[in-house]
Amino acid sequence: MKAFVGVFALALGTVSSVFGVIVLGLGLKKRDERMLELGRRFVFGVLAAAVLAFLAMEWALLSHDFSLEYVYENNARATPLLYTIAGLWANLEGSIILWALVLAGYLAFAARRFRDRSTDPLVAWATLVGLAVALFFFALMLGPANPFKTLSPTPSDGLGPNPLLQNHPLMAIHPPMLYLGYVGFTLPFSFAIAALATGRFGEGWLADIRRATLIAWGFLTVGIILGGWWSYEVLGWGGYWAWDPVENASLLPWLTGTAFIHSVIVQERRGMLRVWNLSLVIATFSLTILGTFLTRSGVLDSVHSFTESPIGPWLLSFLAVVAAVGIGLIAWRGDRLRAPGRIDSPVSRESAFLGNNLIFAALAFVVLLGTVYPLLAEALQGRQLSVGEPYFNRMTTPLGLVLLFLMAVAPALPWRAASGEVLQRRLLVPAWIGGLTMVVALLLGTNGITDSVTFGLAAFALAGIARQMVVGARAQGRANGVAWPAATLRAIRSNPRLYGGLIVHTGIVLIAIALVASSSYSTRREVRLTRDNTVNVSGYSLTYLGSRITDTKQKVTVHARIRVERDGDALGVLTPAISSFPGRTSGIGTPAVKTGIVRDLYLTLVSSPTERERVTVGVQVNSMIVWLWIGGGVVALGTLVALMPSLRRRSQRDPLGADDAEPRVLEGASA
Amino acid sequence: MNRLAWAALALLVVVAVVVAATQAGDSSPRARANALAEEIQCPECDGVSVAQSLAPTSRAIVRDLRRRVAAGESDDDIRAAYVERYGESIRLNPEGDGLGLLVWGLPVTLVLAGAGALVFASRRWRREPLMHATGADEELVERARRDDA
Amino acid sequence: MKHPARWIALAVAVVALAFVAVLATQVSDDPQREDNESVLLNHPAPEFSVRTLDGTTITQADLAGKEVIVNFWNSWCIPCHEELPALKEFYDAHATDPDFVMLGIVRADSQDAIRAYVDAEGVDWVVAFDPGANATLGFATRGQPETFAINSDGTIVGFKAGPSSRNELETMLAAARVPS
Repeated sequence: MKAFVGVFALALGTVSSVFGVIVLGLGLKKRDERMLELGRRFVFGVLAAAVLAFLAMEWALLSHDFSLEYVYENNARATPLLYTIAGLWANLEGSIILWALVLAGYLAFAARRFRDRSTDPLVAWATLVGLAVALFFFALMLGPANPFKTLSPTPSDGLGPNPLLQNHPLMAIHPPMLYLGYVGFTLPFSFAIAALATGRFGEGWLADIRRATLIAWGFLTVGIILGGWWSYEVLGWGGYWAWDPVENASLLPWLTGTAFIHSVIVQERRGMLRVWNLSLVIATFSLTILGTFLTRSGVLDSVHSFTESPIGPWLLSFLAVVAAVGIGLIAWRGDRLRAPGRIDSPVSRESAFLGNNLIFAALAFVVLLGTVYPLLAEALQGRQLSVGEPYFNRMTTPLGLVLLFLMAVAPALPWRAASGEVLQRRLLVPAWIGGLTMVVALLLGTNGITDSVTFGLAAFALAGIARQMVVGARAQGRANGVAWPAATLRAIRSNPRLYGGLIVHTGIVLIAIALVASSSYSTRREVRLTRDNTVNVSGYSLTYLGSRITDTKQKVTVHARIRVERDGDALGVLTPAISSFPGRTSGIGTPAVKTGIVRDLYLTLVSSPTERERVTVGVQVNSMIVWLWIGGGVVALGTLVALMPSLRRRSQRDPLGADDAEPRVLEGASA
Repeated sequence: MNRLAWAALALLVVVAVVVAATQAGDSSPRARANALAEEIQCPECDGVSVAQSLAPTSRAIVRDLRRRVAAGESDDDIRAAYVERYGESIRLNPEGDGLGLLVWGLPVTLVLAGAGALVFASRRWRREPLMHATGADEELVERARRDDA
Repeated sequence: MKHPARWIALAVAVVALAFVAVLATQVSDDPQREDNESVLLNHPAPEFSVRTLDGTTITQADLAGKEVIVNFWNSWCIPCHEELPALKEFYDAHATDPDFVMLGIVRADSQDAIRAYVDAEGVDWVVAFDPGANATLGFATRGQPETFAINSDGTIVGFKAGPSSRNELETMLAAARVPS
């Protein structure tokens, strides 16, 4: 029954997307407005199909219907409710349902938003492209990755989800967030293709997808940070580039997407970078497909590569089609893409944006190359090798420092050309704060030059952001005669895009500080503890109080209870644990973390207690990790602010005035 | 006055960087062993260096690295010994020769080429007199406005 | 005038095509195929020194002229439990052969646990600890169980990662017996 509903939903989705593509295609060809209006409606058919497929699978999971192979493999009667629901994205086939649902949601959102322009060829083309992408994913589910495959006879109990995926509630949020980000880049892609197809690659399509791009970017950022958090709480701490190839794969579209968010402003403002922006959008979408291919087809080892799945060739072919269409269209339209703008001075906001784009493109290239290099080496020379943290650190650190510098300087630069006087007024004090911070960091004995330069640049950037916020709030306060909290809010409301951007930058700077601090000032030890004896490690006193075993049907867990003190203050009892799951060979450790503003104490159980009541415990002191998550929250907040409608409403007739990022009024008021 | 403030800041930063640079470069045996541990992969766990892993084998490898450094083996000898035993995949840092030239050199080349192109373009733009909008440009703007109307 | 975007697009297309082609060659690869590959195959066995349960030291020199099966294992590894019956059966079939040696080297485990395990399960072959981890590293083990076969010349002629079956053990021993 559920299988029938599910397969029916998949068929409905496929048919709806096929009809949508055909009707829209014919409508565009014949310039028939009624057909375009009709074609748009198929989006809602696709949405209904995706919702139905989603519900059918959740129904099957919640009712533990093991006649479905997917439910059998990813659920068991003992699986707790949360992980039963999350079981839908615990494995490949189910996660494609989620993908299709998110995609259909975005398409419906766009179809509704542009309902008054359904006969506009740009919107019709974009809808067509979106439906074609949806068609691919529905076909994938009807073909090689069918989540509604049945088993006969019906097993009495299921295997349960992968133990790693049923250990922490973040598992329920991280994948949907990531998908909302990943899939969200389909909309900008559809509009970019539409702009190329219709030849209307002015600034109109950019304004249309600005919001959708920001939303997708925000979700992707939060999804990546949550993934890191999950891995910190569940997997044990292995440094940044060791998380998983899939973390690199989700970083790739994030990097090009971030580049796009910046370069779009240049095009809106100066009409430049048309080809570049189209390329970035197409690249971002291609990289989401590439990332999915790399991690889901099993060509790279990954926590996320779910057994051997036959979808590799499908994803690869789709990637080839996407890239061919994108590159082909740009080549075809190349002669008409000449940008009218130019750069007047190397010291200007637009040059800073160009620098920013160069660095982000380089970062994306480094991450891509490092991720696929083992594949290249194996294919070309039959060599098996690895690329890891030392490579990524060495290649990305200089690029990251340049980005921090740009983040400190660029928001203060005016468009077109900067005068020395403006630079002095806006940058001198923040620059001194940065320089002094660097010297202080050196005097305090930071490890090496990179760390102190990072702290200096971070302080420079934060001081610049603070200055800009204060100046803006003061100007609003003076103009409206309100106190500073109201003035700050008013300033933000007057230009949400500017201040949202600054808040995002604050979050990124916090993350940069946390990255460096946690990499350089963390310690890692392993101690053997005997019952009721106290051992001093890295400034903490640890006392092993004994262990406890819990046995649920889902898992058997050994918890070691360890009392923690620091400088005579009791910090409570931490219980790192190891769980074993029925039918799985290796135990899964669950670290216990005492989170602090400055440092985390991170305990892992290395070996279970012996009969003589001895345990081996991994003791890590990780500096400033919590600021990674706080920074992520600040980025999310900034993205929300940037999405707020501006109080200073732009006139309907002037779409080119969409960007009012330049605080002309504010700076004037402060002068 | 302002120039002076900038110059003083520049001096401060340069001095700080130079001082930091001369202090850096710890070549004590322990530092060498730790640096090597950062680039040897934990054989039991994918993608994590032995320096960061608490797996028993990783701890043994770290001890072995210290022993080898103390015994006077050069960094290259130690790397070679590990590659010989475990294969190239034990190193997290790909070799910089042959195909490795690509993975190390290509990003650097592209960044330099990109920066060069930007500088070149900006020079050319500055040399050319300010362009006037052509008919095609105005048409584009007009169309963009219409797109959004 | 031709816009350079066309040429750049062409170049990008060529690179992208090559890239996709390379990826395509990797799709069909079986990720599990490394199970029976070791860099050390057909190389001389490494030098090592391990200590047996009763405290005697065994080095690779002591094994010269013998056909040796070296099995890395420990008490907490579940696949090691799985292969135990096969190991026992195999060992019992060859225990009387004077040139045959089977050596179980413990990988990362405590003495207590191993002694208890050996007593409980009735492990008859030589079990040795590897306190300096020189066998663990010398054989470049990546986990347990891992099994190596060494012929009388001291050359590694067989390797298996993961639990071995009786047949696999026999095949490895046969390889070690082939006169070189």
